[in-house]
Amino acid sequence: MKRRDEVLVGLMLIITVVVGVAGTVWLARGGLSSGYPMYALFPWGAGLKNGQPVLLAGVNIGFVSKVELVPNGTLLVTLAVNNEYKIPTGTTASVEPNGIFGDQLIALSPKLLVTTYLPERDTIPTGKGSATTGQVLSKADSVAAEAQTIIAAVRAEFVTDGGITEIRKAITELSALTSQLGTIATEQSRELSATQRQLRATLAAVDSSVVDSTLRAFRTSSANLAQLTGDLEKTRAQVSSILFKVDSGSGTAAKLLNDPVVYARMDSLLLRLDALVADVKANPRRYINLRVF
Amino acid sequence: MLEATWRAMHGAVRNTLTSVGVYGYYLRDIVRSTRETDTWPRETIRQMRVIGVESVILTIIVAAFLGGVTAFQTRFQLFPGVQVSAVGLISRQSIVLELGPLLTALVLTGRVGARMTAEIGTMRVTEQIDALETLAYDPVAFLSLPRVLAALVMLPALTMLANTAALVSAWLTLILATDVRTIDYVEGLRIAFTPFQVVYSLIKATCFGGAIAFVCSYQGYIAKAGAEGVGQATAKAVVITSVSILTLDAIVAAIFAPFVQA
Repeated sequence: MKRRDEVLVGLMLIITVVVGVAGTVWLARGGLSSGYPMYALFPWGAGLKNGQPVLLAGVNIGFVSKVELVPNGTLLVTLAVNNEYKIPTGTTASVEPNGIFGDQLIALSPKLLVTTYLPERDTIPTGKGSATTGQVLSKADSVAAEAQTIIAAVRAEFVTDGGITEIRKAITELSALTSQLGTIATEQSRELSATQRQLRATLAAVDSSVVDSTLRAFRTSSANLAQLTGDLEKTRAQVSSILFKVDSGSGTAAKLLNDPVVYARMDSLLLRLDALVADVKANPRRYINLRVF
Repeated sequence: MLEATWRAMHGAVRNTLTSVGVYGYYLRDIVRSTRETDTWPRETIRQMRVIGVESVILTIIVAAFLGGVTAFQTRFQLFPGVQVSAVGLISRQSIVLELGPLLTALVLTGRVGARMTAEIGTMRVTEQIDALETLAYDPVAFLSLPRVLAALVMLPALTMLANTAALVSAWLTLILATDVRTIDYVEGLRIAFTPFQVVYSLIKATCFGGAIAFVCSYQGYIAKAGAEGVGQATAKAVVITSVSILTLDAIVAAIFAPFVQA
C-alpha cells in the first residue's frame, strides 16, 4: 500500500513536470524544434515582443522568438521560421499593425518569381511598413479636432446667430407660398377646364355648312379684294405718274400748280372777279337788264 | 457608550493579535517537528496521494469547464476589428495567471481542507491526539507537517494540470463551437508569453497550498469537543482559508505582477 502511494504520487509529479515543461517550451519556443532563426532590424519603439506572428505574403510561417535592444537605436529581432518555409531573396520585413489594439506582427513581403532563398540566420532587409495604430489614431484625432471646429462654427452660425430660426421662418413662408401657388393652380385649372368646356360647346354648336359657305364667301371676298388691290395699284401708278408730271413741271396742270406767273394771273383774275361780283351786287341793273316783253 | 466602544475595539485587537500569536506558535511547532524524520516522511507520501492524486479528476473537470467557458465568453465579447488571436491571449492570461491557481485552490479548500479539519478535529475530540502525546509522538509531526508539505507540493502540480486542461478545453471549445481556428488560438497563446508566467502561477499555487494545509490543520487541531465542535471548526476553516487564499492572491499579484509582463 505504501509503495503504491509512492508510485502514484511519483507518477503524478512526473506527469505534471513533463506537461509543465513541455507546455512552457512549446509556448515559448514553438516546441523543441522551433524552426530556424532569421533576423531583422527595426527602429526602437516598433512595439515588438515575443510570440508575435511572422507572416510571409500573409501566411503564418513563424513567430518572434527574441527582441534585443541595441544601443544604436535599433531592435535586433530574432524570428523563428518553420522549417517548411524558405524566405525568397529580396524579401523585405516590416512591422504591421495586428488588429486595432496596438498589437503588431512582422510582415515579410517577397519579390515575385524569385527562385533563390535567403540562407538561415541571415538578416532580412527592412521595408516600409504601413501606418501604425498610433499614427492612425493621431490622424483620427486631427480629423476629430477639425470636425469639432466645424461643428462649433455650424453651431455658432445656425444656433447662436439664429440661423435655424431663419431657416424655419423661410420654410414656413415657402410652405405658405407653396400653398398659395397650389390654390392658384387649382383655380387656373378650374378656369381652364371651364374654358375648355365652353370652347367644346361652341365648337359643337358651329354648323359646318354655314362655315363652308362663310369660307367660300370669304374666299370670294378675298378674290375681290385682290382684284381691288390690283386696281388700286394701277390707280396709284397713274396718280404717281400724274404727280410726277406735276412735280416735273411738264404739262398744263404742272404749270397751273408750279408756275408763279399763272398764280399771279389767277390771283389777279380772282381780284377782278371779286370786284366784278361786288359791282354786280352793287349795280345789278348795269349787268342784268331783264325785260319781260 | 464611549467606554463600551473602546472595550469592544480593545477586545477585537487583542483577539486578532492572539490569533496571530497562536498561528505563529503553531507554525513554530510545525518547523520544529521537521526534526521528527521517523514520523512525517511516510505520512507525507500518503497525504500527497490524498491531496494530489485523488483530486486530479475533480481538478481537471473543474478546469475543463473553466477553460471552455472562459474561451467561449472571450470570443463572443470581442467586437469586430479585434484580431481573433486575442482569444488565445486572453484565455491564457486569465487561466494561467489567475483562474487556474485560484479556482483550483478554492475547490481543494472544500475537498481537501474540510476533510483535513474534520479528520484532525475528530482525532482531537476523541482524544487520539492526546494519546499520541502520551506515547511521546509529536502530533504536529504526524498530523500537520505531512499535510502542509503535501499541499505545498501537490497544489502546484494540480495547478499545472488544471492550467493544461483548461487551455486544451479552451482550444476544443473554440474550434468546435466558434469560428476561431487552431492557428489563431496558438498564435494568441504565444503572444507575449514568458516562462515566468508559469512560475508565477506555481508561486500562487504554492502559497495557496500552504494556506489550505496550515489553516485547516490548525482549525482541526483546536477543534472543541463534540460533533458540533468539529462541524464549527470545519466551517471556520473553509471560510478562513478562502479569505486567506484571496488575500494571498492579491499580495502575490502585487509583488510579482510587474515581472509577469513580457
